[in-house]
This record gives sequence, structure tokens and C-alpha cells, in this order.
Amino acid sequence: MADYDENDQQMDCALDLMRRLPPQNVEENLLTLLEVVPELTEDLLAAVDQPLKIRQDAKAGKEYLVCDYNRDGDSYRSPWSNEYDPPLADGNVPSERLRKLEVAANEAFDTYKELYYEGGVSSVYLWDTDDSFAGVILVKKVNDGTVRSKGSWDSIHVIEVVEKGRRAWYKLTSTVMLYTVASGAKGDRQNEINLSGSLTRQDERDLAVEDAGAHIVNIGRMVEDMEFKMRNALQEVYFGKTRDIVNGLRSASSLSESKTREQLQRDLFGQLKSRKD
Amino acid sequence: MSADDRIAKVAQFLLHSPPGEVDDVFNDIRGIVNDDDALQEQVGPVLAESNMQQFLSVEVPGQQSKVLITPYNQIGEDRYLDPNTRTEFAFDHLRRVASDAQEASEAGANEEVRAELQRELDGYVASYYASGSVSVFVHEGSVVSCIVSNRFSPGNYWNGSWRAVWSFDPATGQLNGSAKVRVHYFEEGNVQLDTQSDFAADVPMAGASETDVAARVAAKIKTFEAEFQQAINDGYTQLAEKTFRGLRRTLPVTRNKVDWEKIANYKIGGELASAEN
Repeated sequence: MADYDENDQQMDCALDLMRRLPPQNVEENLLTLLEVVPELTEDLLAAVDQPLKIRQDAKAGKEYLVCDYNRDGDSYRSPWSNEYDPPLADGNVPSERLRKLEVAANEAFDTYKELYYEGGVSSVYLWDTDDSFAGVILVKKVNDGTVRSKGSWDSIHVIEVVEKGRRAWYKLTSTVMLYTVASGAKGDRQNEINLSGSLTRQDERDLAVEDAGAHIVNIGRMVEDMEFKMRNALQEVYFGKTRDIVNGLRSASSLSESKTREQLQRDLFGQLKSRKD
Repeated sequence: MSADDRIAKVAQFLLHSPPGEVDDVFNDIRGIVNDDDALQEQVGPVLAESNMQQFLSVEVPGQQSKVLITPYNQIGEDRYLDPNTRTEFAFDHLRRVASDAQEASEAGANEEVRAELQRELDGYVASYYASGSVSVFVHEGSVVSCIVSNRFSPGNYWNGSWRAVWSFDPATGQLNGSAKVRVHYFEEGNVQLDTQSDFAADVPMAGASETDVAARVAAKIKTFEAEFQQAINDGYTQLAEKTFRGLRRTLPVTRNKVDWEKIANYKIGGELASAEN
């Protein structure tokens, strides 16, 4: 029991630490933690989202994304060929019915990805559960085309589904990891502005399911709405807020000048007001 | 990995702590190490490095004065100098308490420029930083100015820090500096800004008095810091207009949301129907 408590405390502290350390360095920070507390390896890998890795499915001639959800041992399953790399004789695969849905979902999200990301890689993995099924929708887009602005976007949408007759209950947990670097040069000076972050949000819906294809429509809309909200939150709220904080650390104009200006405005307003009265 | 190596490794996280969260990161490290005695025995040097990296501001014991804890006024193991009151004192990096104040030895060369620059920068920092501090030291023949402005608001889920160090060599007139800003915004997420820029300039010295030289150095520092702030703001604009859009569009080119019925059905309908039968 004592061991259990110690691991619990270590896990809580490790997760709190990951919420504070720069999201820019999540992979190397996680590696350090795994070296320090190897006994938490499985738990940490499951709990900490990392930027997605891209692999090539040689057979299908397409790229796919790997994460903990399509991993079995040291092998990863491609959503296109349904095969593990390195090959596994008895690797976990979805039931036949669910595999058909998975194939269809991969096609649909491939189209979705083209429409919103104009490139990038997407993968959908589904697995059978006691209740019905669950899955994960992954999208990754990397932009390194121009020197002046680099970035990457990783979406991880975990969906739990409980089918009940002609309706289904969906629970979506979405994480977006964003990494951006804007670099400017002035004379021979270089400066890099690295703004990065990760957000997690949840949504639940109870929706009609007329046929199996409706799952894709329902999940698709939930993911689309969620990404819309999260993109907006990142751009408007999170980035806007950090920018305001920077400009609160240092004032662009002298504080006494700003005060004088405010005073002038007040005086002017007072004069106008008294003239009106 | 030996217990000592584990502590050394995890303690390094202190140096990556977001501004204002060193205590939280320290508590996480404590929970992970789970051996207070061993941690306390080893963590001293890292804590000292962290406090100096953050330009911690401390009350000089016995004086109505504050000074920054930096590598440039460290005069012995855990002893620091306040040149403005000619006081040296001991500093406990774990408890963050100054004690054992003693009168410092006579100031050496460059004290006049240092004192003038301190006076100039006191005025500048008071004008442009709502909560800023500046300490100017003589270090290895150079006059080193350390500026820090922190705003911590953990209750509103954000902390920010602006730090700059400017090294002026009175023998050559060379001014070298770097400024760094970190912001952590963590309301339901972990978003961090991390940016740094280096600067260099020649300050004209011919025929100038100490007062003139100090005024010129201070003016140059003010110009560089204003440019840095402007570059960060430009970076934000570039990020919103280019980087973000290049990663994920707000809406598809058609300006309409995805027609999921269509993309889910035109390929899938037949396949899924046959799966159900």
C-alpha cells in the first residue's frame, strides 16, 4: 500500500510538472521523467500527450500517424493496410465490423484534413469496448516552408461511443498541441519568438444513429466544432492574452507620459462637458 | 541510474520553470524524488543558479535598499554585493533570506560610471516598467546592468517575466546585451511565450564625461528594449496573419463547414451497409 501511495504522489507531481514546463519541450521533458521514474513509464506515456510521429505505410504508399493508441508492443498499426510495422503475427486489430467503419472514417477525415489543413497527415483508429467502441482521430500539419514562420499543429481527438438502439452517446476529449516560431531579423540581429501551447477540451452529445455511416457524420461534426472552438481560443484568447501580458511587463510609452496624456484627456473632457452644461 | 543522478537530473527542471512558479516546480520535484534529505543536500547549486537566472530581488539587510541576486554581484559562495550601499551579505538560496551584512571594501575602477548608470536606469525603469527593478554592477572590468520586470498573477492563471542584461565595457565603448521574455498562461491549458534577442552597439566615448557616457548607454538600452518589444508585437501579428492560417484554416476555402453527410456517404454507404447485413 505504501508503494501505491508513493507512485500516486509521483504521478501527480509529474503531471503538474508537465503542465508547467514549456510545451515547446514536452518530448525531452518526458524523456527525462521516464529516466528518473521508470516505474511510471506506462502511466506517463498514456497520460502525457506528445507531438505525433509520422510513419510511412510502404504497402499502401501513404503516411500515417503513430501514438499510444495504435501501438502494440514495439509495433504500430497502419490505418490504411491494417498491418503492424514491424510485423506482428497476432497484433490487436478491430473487429471486422469496426474495421469497416475505421476504413470509412479514415477516408472521411482524409477529406476533412484536406479542406482545413490543405496538407498534413490524418489517421483514425477505432477499437472495440464493452459498451460499443472508442477511437482516436489524429491530424498533424507541419509548416517549415518559410524561414520566417515555422509551426506545427497536432490534434488528438479521443472519442468514446455508447450505442443504445437508434441513438448513441459520444464523449469527445480533444487536445491540440501548437508550436510556432516567428523569426525576425533587424540588421545582423536575429530574434526568435516561440509561442506554443497545448489545450484540452471535452464535449458530450447524445445523437441519432440511423445507420453505421451516421457515426462518422456525428463524430465528424463534433470534431469539426471542437477544432473550430480550439483554434479560435488559441488565436484570440491565449495568444491575445500573452501579448497583453508582454505589453504589461513593459510599457511602450513612458508611464508618466501615459499618465499625463490621461490627465489631459480628462481635463479636455471636463472642459467639453462644462461647455455643454 | 543512481539516486544522486536521478536528483541531479530532475533538479534541472528548476531552470526551466516558468516565471513565478519556481516554488511549484520545486514542490513537484520534491514529490517525485520523495527523499527530502537527499534532495536538500544536492539541490543547493541548482537553486542558486535558478535564483541568479531569475534576477531575484532581495532586501539588503540593515539597509533601506534592494538589490538583484545575479552572477554579476556574486562575490563568494552564497555572498553577494550591493554596490549602491556598499554592503555585502550572505544569501540562503533555499529560504531566500539575506543575512550577515558587512561593509564592502572600497569600490574599484569604473565606480563613477556605474553609479551614474544606476541613476540613469533607475529613472528609465521607473518610467517604462510598472514593476521593474535594475541593479548595475562592476563585473570583470565591465559595467553590467540587470533589469527585471515580473508580473505574477497565478489567481488569473498567468505569470510573466522580462529580463535584460547589458554589459558595457568603458575601455572600448562596446555595449552588448540580451533581453528575454517568458509568459505562461495556463487557464485550462499550457501556453508559453519564450523569446530572446541579442544586441550590440558602440557607444561614442571621445571627450565624454562619466555622466555623458552613462546617459548615452542608458539611451541605447532604452532604444534596444523598445525595439525588442516592437519585434515581439510584430511577431504576434505575423503569427496571426501567416503562421496560423498556414497550419489550419478557420473554414474551408468554400467558407462553409464540411458536409459530413456527403463525405461520409458517397464512398462509404455501400461498404457499411454490406457490413451491417
